Formats: sequence, C-alpha cells, structure tokens
Amino acid sequence: MGRLARPAGATAEICDELHSLARKPRTRFSNEPSANLLGVVMNIPTLLTLALVLAYPISYAAYLSFHKVALAELRRGIFPFVAFDNYRRILSDPLFILSLKNTLVFSAVSVTAEIVLAVAIALLIDQRQVWTSRITKFLILIPYAVPPIANGLIWAFMYNFNFGFLNRILFTLGLIHEPINWAGNPSTALLALTVPYIWRTLPFAILLVHAALQGINPELYEAADIDGAGALQRFWHITLPLLTPIIVVILVLRTSFAFAVFEEVLAITQGGPGDATWVAAWYAYKKSFAPPFDIGVGAASAYVLALIVGAIAIAYVKAIYRRIA
Amino acid sequence: MRTTPTTRLALHGANLLAIAFFLLPLIAAILGALQSEKSLQASTRTVLPPEWTLDNFRVILSGGTQKGAIFEQVTYLPDNVKKIYFALANSAVIAITVTLATLVFASLSAYTVARLRLRWVAWLTNLTVFARFVPLIVLMIPLYVTFRQFGLLNSIWGVSIAETGFLLPYGILILAPYFAAVPRELEEAARIDGCTRFTAFLRVTLPLSKPALASYGAIVFIIAWNDLLIPLILNNRAEVMTLPVVIASLVGDVHVFHNLMMAICLLALTPSVLLIVLLRRFVVQGLAVGGVKG
Repeated sequence: MGRLARPAGATAEICDELHSLARKPRTRFSNEPSANLLGVVMNIPTLLTLALVLAYPISYAAYLSFHKVALAELRRGIFPFVAFDNYRRILSDPLFILSLKNTLVFSAVSVTAEIVLAVAIALLIDQRQVWTSRITKFLILIPYAVPPIANGLIWAFMYNFNFGFLNRILFTLGLIHEPINWAGNPSTALLALTVPYIWRTLPFAILLVHAALQGINPELYEAADIDGAGALQRFWHITLPLLTPIIVVILVLRTSFAFAVFEEVLAITQGGPGDATWVAAWYAYKKSFAPPFDIGVGAASAYVLALIVGAIAIAYVKAIYRRIA
Repeated sequence: MRTTPTTRLALHGANLLAIAFFLLPLIAAILGALQSEKSLQASTRTVLPPEWTLDNFRVILSGGTQKGAIFEQVTYLPDNVKKIYFALANSAVIAITVTLATLVFASLSAYTVARLRLRWVAWLTNLTVFARFVPLIVLMIPLYVTFRQFGLLNSIWGVSIAETGFLLPYGILILAPYFAAVPRELEEAARIDGCTRFTAFLRVTLPLSKPALASYGAIVFIIAWNDLLIPLILNNRAEVMTLPVVIASLVGDVHVFHNLMMAICLLALTPSVLLIVLLRRFVVQGLAVGGVKG
C-alpha cells in the first residue's frame, strides 16, 4: 500500500496516525476467511438441503419418467429402461388430455376471478374513512392460514347435496325449493372447485395489490381531481396502469400454483363426478400412489406439468421484460 | 377522496359482501362442529342447529373413549382420529423443526446473497426464483422412491427435511433484501471494533432483522403446519401422520359424518389462524416482499 498523499496543512504526525488507522483493519481482516470461502461455508446447509430435495428429485424424476417403475419393480429395485414409452402412454391417454384441459380451465377461471377480486378488495380496504373496511382488512389474511385440506372439507360440507350449508342458507332465505347439487353435477363441478381455491388464495393476491397501491403517488390523484376526473377515470387512467406490473407478477405466480391444485380436488370431488374434475396433479398422484402404482407414468405426467408451468413462467417473464424495455 | 353518502353506502355494502364471503366457510364449520350427526340429518333446511353440543370435540380429544350423544347412531371412530394426539404432536414437531431449520439455513444464505458480492451466489438467487415454479408433485414422486429405498418413509424427520428444502428458497427471497437494507456501515463499524465478518453479521445485522425473521418464521410455520402433500406421500402409519394427513384420511370414509369432520378441521386450523392474527403485521410484510405462496 502506497503512502497517503499529505493533505495541505496536515502535520506528519496526523498523517502517520491516519495511515495506521487505515492499515489497522486491513491487517485484522487478513486473518479472516476470504469472501469466497465464507460464502461457501455459509451456504453449505442450504446447498445440501436443496441438492437433496430439489436438484436431485428433479433429475431423478426425469430418470424415472424414462423407466418402468411400478410395484413389482419397486420391490426388486430394478427399473427397466423404456425410452419414451411412459410419455407415449400418457399422451395417448384421453384421461390425461382431459386432466390437462381441466387444469387449464380451472387455472384460467380461478386466476382471472382472483385478480379482479383482489384489485376490487384492495381498493375497498384502502377506503379508511369507511369503517367496515377495517373489518374486511382484518379478515382478508385469515384464509391464508387455513390448511388447504381443511378448507376443502369445509367446502365439501358447504356443497353437500343433502346436508350442505349453502343449500340450508338458500332454503332459509326461500330462494330454492329443491336442493342444488353444487359439486356433484359434472357440468358445474370444476367451477365449484374454483370457489374454495379462490377463497384460500385470495389473501396473497389482495396483499400484493394493496402493497402496490400504497406505492402510488397521491399527487397523481390530486392532479386528476383538479382536472375533474371521475372515480372511474382515475381508476382507468392512473390506478390500473400503475398496478399492471404487480398484476403480471400475481398472474405468473398464481397460474403456476393453480396448475398444481391438489388438496381441494382430493377433499371435495376426488376427480368426480365421473372424471369431470381430474386435474394434472391429481392424475400424477393417482397414477403414482394408487394401484397399480405406476410411478414411471406418474413421473412422466408430472414432468409434462412442470414443463407447461415452466413455459408459462418464461412466457410471462418475457412479456414483463418487453413491457419494461 | 370525497365521498357522497351514496358511495359510502355502496362501499359499506361491498364490504359486507366481502366480509360474508370470507366468514361463510368458517361459520359453516363452526355450526357444523357444534351439532350432532342426528340434528344435522334431522333438519336439512335450517341454518341454526336445533340443539348445540360440544360432543364432537369431546369424542375427538378423548380419542374416542368418551362417547357423547353423537354416537347414538354411529359407534365408529377411525383409528387415525383416535390417535389425534400423535397427529397434533407430529404436526407441531415438524412445523417447529422446519421453522428453526429454515430460519438458520436461510439467514446464512441470505447474508451471502446480500453482502458478499460473489457471482456464484447470484446463481443461488436465480435458483430460488426457479424453485418456486416447480410443482410439488414433481418433487414428491422421486422423493418417495428415494426415501423408500433408504428406509426414510414413515419418519417425521424425513418429512421435516423435505419441507425444509421446499421452504428454504422463499426464506432467501424474503431475508436477502432485508439484510441488504441494513446499513453496511454498521457492520463495518463492528468490524473495526474487532468483529469478524461473520460475528458482525450475528451481532449487528441479524438482531436488526428481527421483523423479517418473524415474518418468514410465521409464514414457514403456517405452511409447514398446513402442508398435506409431503407427509401424505411420505408417511402412512397413524403414529407418524400429521393433522392434515389424518383429515385427508377421512375423505370418502362414509362412517365419518360432517359434524366430526368440521370439528377436526377447526382443531387443525385454529393454531395457524391464531398465529396469523397475532403476527399479522409481520406476515403481511413478508408476503408483500417475498410474494411467497398462496
């Protein structure tokens, strides 16, 4: 290290003092591990765990999807190579195609409804001068904490044809005279599944929109007020454009999670009535963990699901970047 | 914003709708849990039960030894429900273990992301973003095969490891920005006073990051407590089941009626709902930053 340049008017002693101060930490730090070594050591637990339950399973799932792995093979521990056989089987299985279609419909409906509701409710709880907003604001977080399987069973009780809570309310209000079979009707079962899912996952979307709303400069609204803009115009020309980035984020995250919906299907319809509510994750689960335990086929179908989710994520991210650039 | 009485009324109306939507399932569960199978079946068109009872909870929490009036018609309680205290204990142990492990692991990694400017650590951040898009079922099929081969099935530690790995990426995503926002000068001052990089992190940055740790801890606890798929696939013996798995095992059991199901659902959702009410502020911040999982 070179000598410090002597500032004008400073005595040699002061300069020496400054110099030793500047040097002191350096000698101390030289005993420390380098940033690289520290980085490695501090990341060992994370890397080990992620290798074990993320990197390894993803690659092993690919391996399994190219092998015959059913109960007999699991017992023997030998998995014969079958190339693309598992993929050929699921792609020619009408039930798998139907599951994909149902997943697509389920995701499209639930994510669209969620975004509309999230924006509406986030705006609603922002109205602090309306006291009922505070109750809503308190309640929005609670569904996030409800176990998905409990949520599913509660809605199964709500939807029940004979004893269900929804029919009881409608009977009491005098709105119906015959019970409605909410989740047991093949044409409405999939839609019936979206409601519990929306109920449980709406808090997340509302919170993100609400946080984004807090970031909007109030002066923009004041300026709009001066220009005589109405509430609708303010929403359309200020709020919505400024919310677009967070809406895209919600779209990406919620779609990727909705594609993997599982608990509500298990609790409410188990894929029925008939096969009206088979979705992709349910297909992978049933193929792998119900007789005949065809894990190779299950892994292949799960991989197709992952690839679709990945493609959607990439498409969305590209769309966001194009918007920014 | 100026509000006229009409808009005010409309806003109250909209709030009431939202409140009704959020409360409806909870009210249904409570009403269902507080009546007997007999009264549920007797009057199928009324909202309020003709008689109230706590028997459902009494039967479940006594493991089926105390049989109340609800057992006039049915004398059967599934074995999984009889061992409810195993399920409660397993759920608690797994949720606490996973929360502690992820807090430690994610803090260590988040520090390297926030403070050490290393190119390969940036790769870790990309991995965490990528990890959020992998459907859980993709991971569970190979994990099942592996755990089966290594004899790790039916162990609460196997489940804990899987959950920890699954929830770690969110932690790095929540904690790293918070650590980065703690002024670097504070750590540098501590280092001049004799701390190493690591002890400066432990004594300065980490204590200042308590809000972020609380929000991530609460979120992880709730997700781990609620998670079904991981323990459902890895554990199938009653002694190692978690509460959600016990609940899932009741699906399709024609002998278990809605009143018992609602009671057990309420038992499962109470701890996590209480936690989110108590730590509301932190959870909101954590979700807004990390965009975790819904």
